[in-house]
Formats: sequence, C-alpha cells, structure tokens
Amino acid sequence: MVGAKRAFVLLLAVLAAALLILPEASDGPLQTIGRGLVTMASHPLRALDSVNQGIDSIWSRYIALRYVGEENLSLRREIASLQEEASRLREKAAASDRLRELLNLKEELPYSTLAARVIARDPTNWYRSIVINKGQDDGITVDMGVMTPTGAVGRVVKVQRQLAVVLLLIDRNNAVTGLVQRTRDEGIVEGTEKGLAWIKYLPLLSNVKVGDIVITSGMAGGFPRGLPIGRITRIERREAELFLSAEIQPETDFGRLEEVLVITSPRETTNLPSLVPVPGHGLPSAKRLEEIR
Amino acid sequence: MKYLVYAALIILLVPFQAVLFNRVTIFGVHPDLVLIAVCLIGMQAGELDAIVIGLALGFTQDLFSGNAHWTNIWLKPLLGLMASLASHSVINLTFTFSLALLLALSIFSGTVIFFLKSFQSPGVDFFAAAQGILLPQACFDAVLGVTVLKLIQVAAPTRHQLPTSSYE
Repeated sequence: MVGAKRAFVLLLAVLAAALLILPEASDGPLQTIGRGLVTMASHPLRALDSVNQGIDSIWSRYIALRYVGEENLSLRREIASLQEEASRLREKAAASDRLRELLNLKEELPYSTLAARVIARDPTNWYRSIVINKGQDDGITVDMGVMTPTGAVGRVVKVQRQLAVVLLLIDRNNAVTGLVQRTRDEGIVEGTEKGLAWIKYLPLLSNVKVGDIVITSGMAGGFPRGLPIGRITRIERREAELFLSAEIQPETDFGRLEEVLVITSPRETTNLPSLVPVPGHGLPSAKRLEEIR
Repeated sequence: MKYLVYAALIILLVPFQAVLFNRVTIFGVHPDLVLIAVCLIGMQAGELDAIVIGLALGFTQDLFSGNAHWTNIWLKPLLGLMASLASHSVINLTFTFSLALLLALSIFSGTVIFFLKSFQSPGVDFFAAAQGILLPQACFDAVLGVTVLKLIQVAAPTRHQLPTSSYE
C-alpha cells in the first residue's frame, strides 16, 4: 500500500513538474496563484513607491539644487559677461559704421574738412552747443562751419588749444544764410527755443511750400553752398510784415551727435550747384557731384 | 583740506556737468551744478570764498559754453555773494530758508541770462523760456542744493546750525 501511495505521489509530482515546465501550461495556474499575491503586495509597493518618489523629489528639488544654484549663478555671470561683450561689439560696430560713413564723406567732399569727436555738451540749459576734441593746434578757427553726413550742424564760436565750442544751428543766437532749394529764395536761418530752426526774411511773394528743402547758401559764414539744413514744416505769413518766415525741421539729429566734420576751407565750392540730399544717406557721392556738374 | 576741495571743484565740476551730468535731465532740463556749488560755498564759507570760487567756476563754465557774452564769469560770483549775505542775515540756516534762497537765486540767474541772450536775438517769449527752462531748473537747483547742504551740515556742522528750539 505504501509503495502504491509513494508511486502515486511521485506520479503527481512528475505531472506537476511537467505542467510547470510547459510555458503555456504554467501561465494560467501560476498567474492565478500570483494574482492574489500581487494584489496583496501591491498596496505596500505603491506606498513605498510614493515614499521613494518623495525622497527623489526632495533630493532633486532641494538637496541637488545646491549645485544647480551654483551652476545657475555661474551661467548668469556668463550671460552678463556675454551680454556686456555683445553690447561692446555692437557699440564698436556702430562706431565703425559712423566713422566709415564720415570717412567716405570726407573723401568725397570737394572742400577740406577735419574730423572731430563730440566730447561734451553745453554745461548750461540756456545755450545749445557741443565741445569737440579739435582746437587751435589742429587749425580750427572761430566761425568755421561744422557738418555731419546728414547736413550742417553749426559753427565754431570758441577755440582753445585742444578743443573748440560749436554753437548748434538750433541755438537762437546762431544765424547762417540759407536758401530754399526749389525756389532759390534766400533767408537767415536761426534756432528756436524748441530745438528747431526758422528761416526768416524770405520774400513775401515767395512760393515756398511745406516740405521744401533748405540748404546753406554759401554767401557767408563757414559753410559751402548746398549743405542740407532741413525741411520746411510750417510757413508763417504775418500781417503788416514785409517778409515770410518758415519753421524748419533740421536734417541732423542734434541730440545724437558723436562725430562731426569741421569745414576748414569752404571756399573751393562756391560755384557748386545746390545738392539734393539723398534720404537716409545725406549728401550725394562724388560721382553724383560730377554728374550734377 | 578746504583748498583741495575748491581746487577739485574748479577742475572737475564743469567737465563733470558737461560730459556726464548733462545726461541726467528731466524734460531736457538739468540742474546747474556750478550755481549750486557757488551758492553753497557762499552760505557755508562766506563772501570771499564764494566770490573767488564763483569767478573761477564761472570762467570755466563760460569756456565750455556757447555763451558769447561771458555771463557766468561775473554772474556766478554775484550769486555766491548774494547767497552769503542772505544766509548771514538769519540766525539759523533752516531747510525752508535754504530752499527759498536757492530757488530765488536760480530764478534771478536765469532771468539775467535770458535778458542778456534776448538782447542778441530779440523776439523770444519770456514766459515760454520761464516755463521751459527757468522755473524747472530753479526747482532742480533748489532741491539738489538743499540735499547737498543737509549732507554737508551732517558731515561738518557750522555756526549756522543751532538746536531746533531756536527760531529763524
């Protein structure tokens, strides 16, 4: 009996082993057995996973941030340094463009000029003037005209050895002779308190219109004929006055002057025809001057 | 020490105003540092100092300015003298008195410059100039001047400072 019992148990064991060895056969019963176990074990597993995630979160957000903070600071410094460098390079590029423009103009102009840098502005509120870094030692004298690629700027009123003071066209105490380009009417251009300019003493029957360009007449002062001064924005006809006046919006942005040309000898060009300023480029090129001639 | 400060003022103040301080503007108007300096010297140090420093600073200011009349060379010492005489007429140089004095002197200075300028190019509207330059500048001068004066009084008290119980 005992032998038959042992043989039966052995048979069952071999059969179970065979069932377990076969993959298809093992899936069903094992999973059925395992499902319950997994269900029971999943609760503490999830709980532990939450704790683990919490620890991970604490690590990554707070403890590891110590290094991220340092890295952030370093990156910020690098960004600031790069921004500063970019700004410096932009400034250099802008200065280079301005100087190239000025140099081109200087080469193209048929009269002699001297490039100068604006180093200061009037220390009072009552006058509109600039101080340039060229003076008596460089051959600058009082009443010389000053210009930029966009047109006339002003005239030298005071000269020291190494610097000069230039009274801007928009100062009320400055006066240069101007010419309305289209009608050829002459007048006196003076500054206004608003930072604009007026052309006075135009003939009463003059046909000037808003938008007309006013240029230097070359009759007096340190300017050659034909430098752009500005465009007429308003015409004033007063009763019982023998002359017309007109408000001029200057071509030059006087608030942003950085480099200028001092006209050391304007007389070579007194026979030049008046020049038409090219929008955005100021004066025409030498080739164009020849065409005009 | 006083002379060192005066020398530094004469050498540095006008270039500082012309190069750097002109960027500090409110509606295009900036305070006149020379006027403030001369008035404060007059109020703190006396007539002689104010006249001498006013002469030097006014001359330097005229050198760098488009002003053809050389106005500042005589106007600034005069302002210093006036500030000195006015401040010596009170027992205590109070905040209100200093503010009013600086305001009045700046308005006086601006009016003189305006009329001298309008002799050369007549037809300028005084009220427009007063509204656009003269009064705003006077306000800035007074506020900045009083601030600097208070700082000076804290750093180096003078005979003008009496206890608060004293009257003006």
